[in-house]
Amino acid sequence: MVYVAGIDAGAAFTKAVILGDDAVLASQVVLSTSNYAQAAISALEGALSKAKLERDCLAGVVTTGLAAGRVPFPNERATETSCISTGVHRLFPSARTVIDVGGQASRVIKMDEAGRALSFMINEKCAAGSGRFLQVIARVLQVNLDDIGELSLGSKRRTDFSTSCAVFAESEAITRIAEGASKEDILAGVHHALASKIASMVEAMRLTPDCAMVGGGAKDIGLVRSVEEKLGISLLVPEEPQVIAALGAALIAGGRLASAGAKQG
Amino acid sequence: MEELIVAGVDIGSTMTKVVIRNGRTMSTFIGPTGAEYRTLAHKVVEDALNQASLGFDDLAYVVATGYGRMSVPFADQQITEISCHARGVRSLLPTARTVIDIGGQDSKAIKLNEQGRVINFVMNDKCAAGSGRFLEVIAESLGLKLEELGELSLKGDTAIKISSICTVFAEQEVVGHIADGRRLEDVLAGLHDSLASRVYSMAERIKLEPDVVLTGGVAKNIGIRKAMERKLGYQVLLPPEPLLTGAIGAALLAKELVLKAIEQGQPLKKERRPLEAARFFE
Repeated sequence: MVYVAGIDAGAAFTKAVILGDDAVLASQVVLSTSNYAQAAISALEGALSKAKLERDCLAGVVTTGLAAGRVPFPNERATETSCISTGVHRLFPSARTVIDVGGQASRVIKMDEAGRALSFMINEKCAAGSGRFLQVIARVLQVNLDDIGELSLGSKRRTDFSTSCAVFAESEAITRIAEGASKEDILAGVHHALASKIASMVEAMRLTPDCAMVGGGAKDIGLVRSVEEKLGISLLVPEEPQVIAALGAALIAGGRLASAGAKQG
Repeated sequence: MEELIVAGVDIGSTMTKVVIRNGRTMSTFIGPTGAEYRTLAHKVVEDALNQASLGFDDLAYVVATGYGRMSVPFADQQITEISCHARGVRSLLPTARTVIDIGGQDSKAIKLNEQGRVINFVMNDKCAAGSGRFLEVIAESLGLKLEELGELSLKGDTAIKISSICTVFAEQEVVGHIADGRRLEDVLAGLHDSLASRVYSMAERIKLEPDVVLTGGVAKNIGIRKAMERKLGYQVLLPPEPLLTGAIGAALLAKELVLKAIEQGQPLKKERRPLEAARFFE
């Protein structure tokens, strides 16, 4: 069996996926903290131990993500765009548009029927367009990031923000709480604001269905529902949306080995 | 004729500024806006009037400006910050052709003609990165006082470039630089450059022309002033109290409105709500 690994060293989380003959054996997600090198090792070792493998079993490792350059063991690189589109194509061959909401950037990718990225748009300049916005507000509300999706669905009356800046929204959230708004209503407002930013990117790229949503942000059911509402469509969301780029990286690792093998043939 | 008593109230997102003119005498008040800003402006004006054995009825006219201008029940008229800043700067520094105002939550640039009239302006209130808020967030995260940032930044030898525009990402970048052992002063020098560049490129959209006057709370930060002067290639002017130009302008406009009404023999439009309405805020 040929074993390969894909690693996505993101701003907030580092993800690893292990494939054995192109099938997923294990995955691991760890906090990136600020030590990206250590996070990459923990993610890979965690995934390897779940798959009951050693590091030297791996025939190839492909890395991607913001901190891919910090990964301290031998690896090849691939762009986030190609990893995401490859990962999404494996799970949803009908997808032609992908929305990726990560910890520090969000992007929209258009892809062809073979899963190749045709064009993409990225927002990495503004926290209010990324998962970071959710982190900022979750901290103010003292709620766990993993709980905000479900919580927001319980909103009775959404708190709309008058600003599109994460810093100003943070103060606005504090004021709204003082005025008696519930956590649920504020979270619904944050989802609405973030979904508006994402939807305007999708509209600028022109939506071609089917549309998938991936990245850590897609774990947030409240955000997914808000984006669906904005776009007026249903989104394809994988079971583990956070590891899609790592999955794509691993698939690319496998593909590169296969084509190198064919050349040597 | 009895001297006119007028007031200008400028309620900013961070600071509340009040100017009362009694003839040529001017009293000024500056205090943090806080959550109770409606009460604060009312109380400040009331105290000032009490000291002079006057009451609200003695005020011929009150002009409110700034972010919170709609929440001053005793104001007769609301006038935009742009007009008030321009009027204030015209009286203080008549050679000014451009005003760059950097406040706690927004920044703006105003172009004036030779008569000191507004001919163009540009504003950013969408993003914290172009405002004093940027410095506040960083100061808090580094455990420094806002007032000491500017001086410290001047001690930097090599400004470390901050690549993030967004305040949230810049904060993280700064923490990273400090964790990597970079000198605090060098990081601060980079931060001041970053804010100055951002405001400069916004202001450049209306074509900066000397003299340039810097106003707003951030004008008090010497690091920003120096960084801005490096961008411009010449010195900027500073009013005696950069926080007060809007309130001074508001008071001047109040006086002019009264004089104009008297001259034309027209009754002055007053929108002042009764003081009972103000109690609502207390």
